[in-house]
Amino acid sequence: MAKTYDYLFKLLLIGDSGVGKTSILFRFSEDAYNSTFISTIGIDFKIRNIELDGKKIKLQIWDTAGQERFRTITTAYYRGAMGIMLVYDVTNEKSFENLKNWIRNIEENASSDVERMILGNKCELTEKRQVYKERGEQLAVEYGIKFMETSAKSSINVEEAFYTLARDIKAKMEKKLKEASNPPKGGGHQLKSSEPQRKPPSWITRCSIL
Amino acid sequence: MEDDLPTEYDVVVVGTGMTESIVAAAASRIGKKVLHLDSNEYYGGLWATFNFDGLQKWIEDLKAAKSDGKKDTIIKVEAGENFLNASNQYSAVENIEETWFISNDADLPVLTSKDTQTDGSGDGASAEGSEKSDEDKVEKKEPVKQWSIDRIKKEYRRFNIDLAPKLLFARGELVELLISSNIARYAEFRAVSRVATFMDGKLTQVPCSRADVFANKTVSVIEKRMLMQLLTSCMEQGADSPEFDGFRDKTFLEYLNTKNLTPIVKHYVMQAIAMATDKTSCRDGVNRTKHFLNSLGRYGNTPFLWPMYGSGELPQCFCRLCAVFGGVYCLKRQLDGVIVCEDKCRAIITGKQRLALEHLVVGQGHVPPEIVASVGEQQISRGIFITDRSIMQGEKENLTLLYYPPEKNGQEPVTVIELGPSTNACPQGLFMVHMTCKRINTAKDDLEYVVKKFLRAEVLEPKGPRDSTDSHTQTVSPDKRHIQEGDAETRDLIKNPKPQVLWSLYLNLPASDIKLSNSAPSNIHLCSGPDLDLDFDFAVNQAKEVFAAMYPDEDFLPRAPDPEEIVLEGEEAPGPKFEGDKPGEGEDKQEGEEKQDSEKAEKEE
Repeated sequence: MAKTYDYLFKLLLIGDSGVGKTSILFRFSEDAYNSTFISTIGIDFKIRNIELDGKKIKLQIWDTAGQERFRTITTAYYRGAMGIMLVYDVTNEKSFENLKNWIRNIEENASSDVERMILGNKCELTEKRQVYKERGEQLAVEYGIKFMETSAKSSINVEEAFYTLARDIKAKMEKKLKEASNPPKGGGHQLKSSEPQRKPPSWITRCSIL
Repeated sequence: MEDDLPTEYDVVVVGTGMTESIVAAAASRIGKKVLHLDSNEYYGGLWATFNFDGLQKWIEDLKAAKSDGKKDTIIKVEAGENFLNASNQYSAVENIEETWFISNDADLPVLTSKDTQTDGSGDGASAEGSEKSDEDKVEKKEPVKQWSIDRIKKEYRRFNIDLAPKLLFARGELVELLISSNIARYAEFRAVSRVATFMDGKLTQVPCSRADVFANKTVSVIEKRMLMQLLTSCMEQGADSPEFDGFRDKTFLEYLNTKNLTPIVKHYVMQAIAMATDKTSCRDGVNRTKHFLNSLGRYGNTPFLWPMYGSGELPQCFCRLCAVFGGVYCLKRQLDGVIVCEDKCRAIITGKQRLALEHLVVGQGHVPPEIVASVGEQQISRGIFITDRSIMQGEKENLTLLYYPPEKNGQEPVTVIELGPSTNACPQGLFMVHMTCKRINTAKDDLEYVVKKFLRAEVLEPKGPRDSTDSHTQTVSPDKRHIQEGDAETRDLIKNPKPQVLWSLYLNLPASDIKLSNSAPSNIHLCSGPDLDLDFDFAVNQAKEVFAAMYPDEDFLPRAPDPEEIVLEGEEAPGPKFEGDKPGEGEDKQEGEEKQDSEKAEKEE
């Protein structure tokens, strides 16, 4: 059967509790907003298929499952991630300051060539704003990564942000594919419940240990 | 600690080892309010996997913790309550011995690529192939960079070093649990590519697949038939069958001796399939053989899987599931003690907080000494080695399991696992060797006979690199393969020197036979540390027991829904729903699976 997409990208959302990671995820994946998600129960990741330059791309976007609350994200969360959205809340100075810690955390645990992007969320709350846009931009320049202010609630820039990140990952990937004459080394396998029908009908063929 | 934790829970789990993490996930999965703590800043406790830097920190912390002594906390309790201090988790790790066999950058001679070429061809010991293949390499070769202490430290992130390396039987308890609970999506695995055994003075690959058998010339047709019969008895009848009636009190070896097997066949069955010593009981031998055979043919060439990035990933997968279902996680937070009233544990004290609970699940390193009946005698000897080549060179990178039985009395059988860069255990050009056995003396003493046998653990002089041709790549040129065909492997073994150890670490760890006293509160549940077995069966079964003791009527880790199956509709959907809730959802899922399968197929190619 034909593959239904050309690329699969694993993306992560990182940042302090309450900055709106889950809201951004829902805005992008379901075009929905709900102010009542208190924490992120039962959500592992969401999927949205997009198209870029005629290529079908499946975005698998992982939420932190609340493990960011006491800075206890598992190292396993970062495995295989190709893009990371670093999110802070423009009405919360602390969440902006903590970005540096999160970046350090990424450098420690994620793959070194992961694409990153900074998002200043809740930009619709102009009266409560504590972090000016310029500061976000400046930090992004410092780390050489892209920046956008978003609002999951008012649906500002969320689409744009994910498309930008996906485009950057795609460009990096295609460049790599072009450079390497041999295909990239395969990773591990995931175990499937629908296991391949390789199991022979009788044990005799199976225990061919000799 | 800047953040205060909520103060009431159904289950508090202390320690993020394998058993603890499975229990935490299982409790959270059925809607219990779970708090999961660990005093360390990493997951896994004695099951952890570290990068090189992390391991160095762990060793330092261990030394610091030992000299620290124990500080007893004094806590105010209410009438009728008792406060018990938690124990020091590190007290049981002993005999840590770390050694470098290479130099710092400053002490290395400056080598240009030209120099190394000359050195390489002049160095007879390392000439690894025909001249033709050497020439091939020379053309492509970059200036050779020797491994130095500085370089290993600089590339610390590329190492994943296991305290408790374990393999998974393809049909073992953990694989089945990962699949049935849908936690498998958090982890990736590689199949162990060969099972090796030491026979007639050299390492040989044990043929496990049909293709291997077909190619194998060391076993005659008669021997194959002989072995087939034996394996049939083990597989179909099991240890309780009349076939084994006469051997209830005898050893597996005694049983095999009655079967008129040739030495080769006996060797394969004993050492590679059953991984038995001459003391292994007939029942154990049969069961192990059965387990091995059962797991064949499911994934890859051998019955075993290795978790990518190390065994320490696996507890984290269960932690992730626990968190996804609402479990609260807090690392760097230690258990100071427990508050006991009558025969119940009421609460724990951590930092300045008192946290109430229904059940306390606690890793063996944290249990208050007052409620421990026996600490257990059994301990584990571990050796970890970074080497410059495989113990058994092959045409591609291998992931190898070797069971090495004792050479004489007073030795224990040693399990050797050799990992290459594709498991992310180490950078390109290096190998990671793990040795594990039951402790008799110190780890170094216990493992010495095996280290001597397979590795070169002598300090490498900075002058004159022993091996400047890039022999880690292990490539054998195709033409060479054609010419030598049959005995290429044999010649390789004789010609190839033992792997040079660049760095080693020995340590003794407690094994898992600690017991709670009868007077221990009934809602305190103990979780063991890593055990000596190859697989995680012990931890999985212990977790099931703990869960059943807490919630006898509940399902143990039912399948978690895939994200595609979850529909959130405003407030009325706090938890996940299952597929079928929304029309059209089924299609999506199919698409997902199809994709995964095709991806898998690609990888297998």
